Amino acid sequence: MDNLINIGVAQLAVAENPAVLRTILGSCVGICIYERNKKIGGLAHILLPKNPGDSNHEKYADTAIPILVQQLLKKGCKKEFMSAKIAGGASMFKFKSTTALANIGENNIEATRQALAKFGIPIVAEDVGGSTGRVIDFFLDDGRLKVKASGQEKMYYKV
Amino acid sequence: MHEHIQQRIQSIIQNVDQLPSLPDVVSRIINMVNDPNVSFKQVADEIAKDQAITANILKLCNSAYFSKGKEISSIDRAIVILGLKEVKDIVVLATTKSVLNKVIIGYDLARGELWKHGVAVAMLAKKIATECSQKAVADIAFTGGIIHDVGKTVLALFVQNTFKDILTAVTEKNITFQEAEKLIMGFDHQQIGEQVTIKWKFPKVLQSIVRYHHEPINAPNEHKKIVSIVHIANTLCLMAGIGIGSDGLYHELNQDAVTMLGLHDPQLEKFYSDIPELMARAKDIL
Repeated sequence: MDNLINIGVAQLAVAENPAVLRTILGSCVGICIYERNKKIGGLAHILLPKNPGDSNHEKYADTAIPILVQQLLKKGCKKEFMSAKIAGGASMFKFKSTTALANIGENNIEATRQALAKFGIPIVAEDVGGSTGRVIDFFLDDGRLKVKASGQEKMYYKV
Repeated sequence: MHEHIQQRIQSIIQNVDQLPSLPDVVSRIINMVNDPNVSFKQVADEIAKDQAITANILKLCNSAYFSKGKEISSIDRAIVILGLKEVKDIVVLATTKSVLNKVIIGYDLARGELWKHGVAVAMLAKKIATECSQKAVADIAFTGGIIHDVGKTVLALFVQNTFKDILTAVTEKNITFQEAEKLIMGFDHQQIGEQVTIKWKFPKVLQSIVRYHHEPINAPNEHKKIVSIVHIANTLCLMAGIGIGSDGLYHELNQDAVTMLGLHDPQLEKFYSDIPELMARAKDIL
C-alpha cells in the first residue's frame, strides 16, 4: 500500500482519502475518528489513560483525543459528521490482578470512552479487551477499519 | 501433539547448520569483555579484523542512543569514550540485525517488528537493571534483550502450521502461548533459542536469558535476577504493542520476578510509560 502511514506508540496522525493509517496495539488503545463528509480521518495510539502532567500529551487518552479532534477541526472537519472506532486495550493473560498495570487495558478503554463522550463523538464500533495483539488499518476512502488479531481479520464498516 | 513436527524440530536442533549463524567475532568479543586479562587494544584489534562490521559499529557509536556527543571515528576511540561493555553491545546490535530483521510468519510479525522488539526490550532491560541496583550487569540485560526471541525465527514456520491448535490449547487449558507451543510442537521458542545461543558459543548467562525469559523462576539461581529483568522488560514492551504478534498478550507477568527485584506498581508503570521516549531515542539504531 503506497498510502500507508505507520503510527507508533504515543503518536497520532491526521490524513485524508486515500490514505491508510496503521498501528499495532497491545494494552494501548487506537482511536480512529472519521469525518464522513470530507473523508478525513485521524488515528491516535495512546499508552495510558490519564495524563499526570507529562508534556508528552499524545501518550494519554485524556490529552491525546482533544489534540486529535482539534487537528481534524483545523482541516475543516465538522464535529457532527465525525464518528469513532476504537480498538485495543488488551490485558496480560496471566497477571496478578491486584497490580495496577493489570488493569491498564481496561482503564485505557474507559478513559477513551470518556474523552470521546466529552466531545459528543459517537463510538460506532469497538474491538477491545481480551489478550490479543491487534494490527489495525484505518482506510480513509470510506472510514472502514480492519482489525487483525490472532491470525484472523475483521472489518468494521460503520461510520 | 504433532509428532511429525516435533521430529522436524528435533532434526533442526541436531543439525545445527539449519540454525541461524553469527560471525565468530561476536562470541570472541563477548568473552573478551568478561576477561580481566584482555586489554582494550586486543578487543579493538579483534573488531577491526572485520571491515564490514567496523563501519556499521562506528555508525551505531554515533547514534543518538549511544553517542556521548563527541564524534567517534575509530574503534579505539569508541572503547575509550563508550567503554568496553557498551562497544560489546554495539557489536551484538550490528551483527544480529540480519538474523532478527525478518518477516516472522506464524507469529504474524512484519519485517522489522521482531528486530524493533528486541531493541526495545534491550533498552528497557538496561534501564531496569540500572535502576534496580544491577548496573554492573546492565550490558548483559541489553544483549539478552536483543536476542531473547531468536528462537521465533526458527519456530515460525511450525507455529504457522499449528497455530489453531496452539490457540485452542491456550484457551481450553488456560496455559500461556509458550506453554502451548511446547504442548503442541514438543518445543517452545525459548528452547530453540537456547540451542541457537549454544551454537553461537554465547556465555551461560545469555543462554539462560533466552531459555527462561517467560519463566524466570526456573532459571538457575545465579541468573534469576537478570532473567527476571529481561522478563519484565519483555512483558512491558509487549503490552505497549512493540513487536506484539499472533501470540498477543497470552503470556504471564511473573509476580516472583517483580518481587525479587524489589519493584512496585509505580515503578513498573513508570517503566511502561517511558517506552515511547526510549523508542524515540532508538530511531537511528533500528
